[in-house]
Amino acid sequence: MKSRLLEYLITFIVIITINFALPRIMPGDPFLQLYSAGGETTVSYTEEQKEYFISYYGLDRPAGIQYFSYLGGLLKGDLGFSYYFKDSVASMIFRRLPWTLLLITAATGLSLVTGVLLGSFAAWRRGQRSEQALYLFMVTISEIPAFLVGLVLLVLLAAGAGLFPLAGAITHFSRFNTTWAQILDILHHAALPVLTLAVARAGGFFLLVRNSLGTVLTRDYMRTARAKGLPEKRIRYRHALRNALLPLVTRTAMQMGAIVGGAVLVENVFAYPGLGRLMYEAVFVRDYPLLQGIFLVLAVAVLAANLLADILYRKLDPRIVSAFKAADSPAVKNRSGN
Amino acid sequence: MNRYTPVWLFIVFLIFFLLCGCAEAPGEIESEMREEGELLTVRLPGGDWGFPTPFAHYARGPGVSHMRYIFDSLLEKDENGLIPWLAEDYEILDEGTRYLFYLQPDVHWHDGTALTADDVTFSFNYYREHLPVWIDDPLILSDDYLLSVESKAESTVEFVLAAPNATFLEKAGRLPIIPAHIWSEIERPDEFNDPEALTGSGPYILNNYSKEHGTYRYAANQQYWGPQPRIDILEFIPVSDEVLTLENGDIHFARVPADLLERFTDNPLYEIMEQPAFWGYRIRFNMVGLPEFQQKELRQAFALAINREELVEKIARGQGIPGSMGMLSPDHRWFNHNLPAYEYDSGKATEILSSLETPARESYELLVGEDAEVRIGELLKEQLARAGINLTVAPADLKTRDSRIIEGNYELVLVGHGLWGTDPDYLRQRYSEETEDWLNGTPGYNNSAFSKLAEKQVREMDEEKRREIIMEMQEILADDVPDIPLYLRVTVNIYRRDIYDGWIHIYDHHEPTHNKLSYLER
Repeated sequence: MKSRLLEYLITFIVIITINFALPRIMPGDPFLQLYSAGGETTVSYTEEQKEYFISYYGLDRPAGIQYFSYLGGLLKGDLGFSYYFKDSVASMIFRRLPWTLLLITAATGLSLVTGVLLGSFAAWRRGQRSEQALYLFMVTISEIPAFLVGLVLLVLLAAGAGLFPLAGAITHFSRFNTTWAQILDILHHAALPVLTLAVARAGGFFLLVRNSLGTVLTRDYMRTARAKGLPEKRIRYRHALRNALLPLVTRTAMQMGAIVGGAVLVENVFAYPGLGRLMYEAVFVRDYPLLQGIFLVLAVAVLAANLLADILYRKLDPRIVSAFKAADSPAVKNRSGN
Repeated sequence: MNRYTPVWLFIVFLIFFLLCGCAEAPGEIESEMREEGELLTVRLPGGDWGFPTPFAHYARGPGVSHMRYIFDSLLEKDENGLIPWLAEDYEILDEGTRYLFYLQPDVHWHDGTALTADDVTFSFNYYREHLPVWIDDPLILSDDYLLSVESKAESTVEFVLAAPNATFLEKAGRLPIIPAHIWSEIERPDEFNDPEALTGSGPYILNNYSKEHGTYRYAANQQYWGPQPRIDILEFIPVSDEVLTLENGDIHFARVPADLLERFTDNPLYEIMEQPAFWGYRIRFNMVGLPEFQQKELRQAFALAINREELVEKIARGQGIPGSMGMLSPDHRWFNHNLPAYEYDSGKATEILSSLETPARESYELLVGEDAEVRIGELLKEQLARAGINLTVAPADLKTRDSRIIEGNYELVLVGHGLWGTDPDYLRQRYSEETEDWLNGTPGYNNSAFSKLAEKQVREMDEEKRREIIMEMQEILADDVPDIPLYLRVTVNIYRRDIYDGWIHIYDHHEPTHNKLSYLER
């Protein structure tokens, strides 16, 4: 485990460095804005204005000094001040983060439940007509891009049927009498974005469960369980499903990156005030400190999800722990040449 | 567990989820007549455009107009030109090098403190040290140009300039005046976001702002010194789709694409309003990297080979007007109507191309931005091919494109921008020999007759004489074609006339919600 933690630490330092370098390598300059798009008017800075802002925000200092002052700030928990949005990066991120977390956790939960339920149904009925229809359906919807699903839901359920609000995360400028009413309002607004994200993700989980369960069902211990005369329910849920779910843990953690990517699109479709929408805007205006901050938070989140998966996996599958113990022992290391 | 249990569970789950959508479906929207004494609330499409002080609103988008709801300036703009505002009168003396502004009496800041001439001098001196986000030309604040700004009496301010400048009145007159008693201690104005930073003298007071949700709520300033606000509460909320939200009744003003206009034409609830064409696309040539572009005949051939009408029809879906080679928008108040039309004529273009001294290359790369610009590029490629010019379209994101322009790293570039209706001094900045940098000028384009006129108009204080010079400058440009304006967008707005109908266009700007006069008694 120690070596795993060291790996995470090194990854973290590399990420911070890339975070710092990446926005600066991208073509474009935060204070260069000549022309606009989509009917928007923009301040077009002259050379004097550009120079003024570059020195005001300290971008005229050598890159090395900027890097170390960034690291120094990070140690103090200071993520910097946004050039374009004129606010502290940490406060901007932490006001947006809960919305994205709400979307991501709810969508992951929903797609997991759907994937497991339908996946196990498909595995048990493999080859039958109902299973084939389901398979086709799930593969088709999982291939539709998330923003398209979002638009369809927006037009059908929000604009057409009027069941859901068209945009945003709360009813603006309203006071709620009870906390419960406020929670309901938030859920009501989150419903379509969550559904959109979940539809895009469910297909992957469905296929994984279907295949993994399919493999487990052919194992010897299944036959043993049946031979012992155990009830079907117990065989399915204690013996088969539990073993088939192992890869799902890894998959969920590894999908964190992808689901954040999906959230960027979905938040833009529904004008949802999450981190993804902020990231899109920050890239658009090349706001270095904000980009650094968002990438950092996302990277930490993905790393944390991986770490969590590592730990969970050990809990679920005792074989892994013994394998790691063996790998950590000097004998194994020498043998593998590390 | 039944064998179909998982499916049933899933269906129940889905139904529960759909039931979360417990809001009632909106029926037909009925006219909302207000009761006597009820507050008039108008909701507009929002989004975050920053904390609306002169230093913290965003550089893109309508942040600057939000700031202007709260802060007043010496002058304002109406349908026809500049009008007195915080300054009830002004005098231009010493051949345009000395200005006296006489302030309105009894003007107060939102906190009740009196607004005096000292606040005006403070604002200008503070801007010299700390540039605001939006300023048309920072040179007007430089010590070499603005020699002094002083209060002469409680309500008189004197500006002394190094040289006359026809645009000074507008540029200085539109800078927001900020209260000295609040800002004098502030070192980093962009980081100052206490509620007191929003103390202005304007018709609206911001009482709710959420950066993450992109919402603003303004209340009318009941003690406003000037024309009274007609809207009591002004709300901006984020929208995913403006048309759907307008139909829903959640907002009262929207931009509507051409294809959806029909849905509103016969409905008495809605009023249709066309914007003046002050936002457009033009093509720039790289005359330094590709010297053949210094021949005006080649540039003229490009202009003839481009069918601007077709661009308007196909790309703007009819919502636009073709650009004029004189560069000013045909909706500009000083537009010259007697310029060559450059009707589409690929035959004539081919003819010119074959008789050039330095022949054109076989193919050129056109750098474009995203979305509509890529489609424009593809159509141009088709049109130019008919005249024998091969075009490859190279898309880039806006920032990348801008930085390639600055480096002079392009052959032809398509750019889109606003402000085509503003003071025509932009012709001087863009095409005079004096500005040779890639940021503001057109390197490689030299016409001394044009440059002389350009320098003359900026010093000409008589408006009629200046207008004549601008007409002449347009004639030269229309012959030289240093850039090719393609088309200008004519955006169509639709608003709920039963809610509010005071929207106006000021003379130089396309968006009626951006000017403060749209919200005030006239």
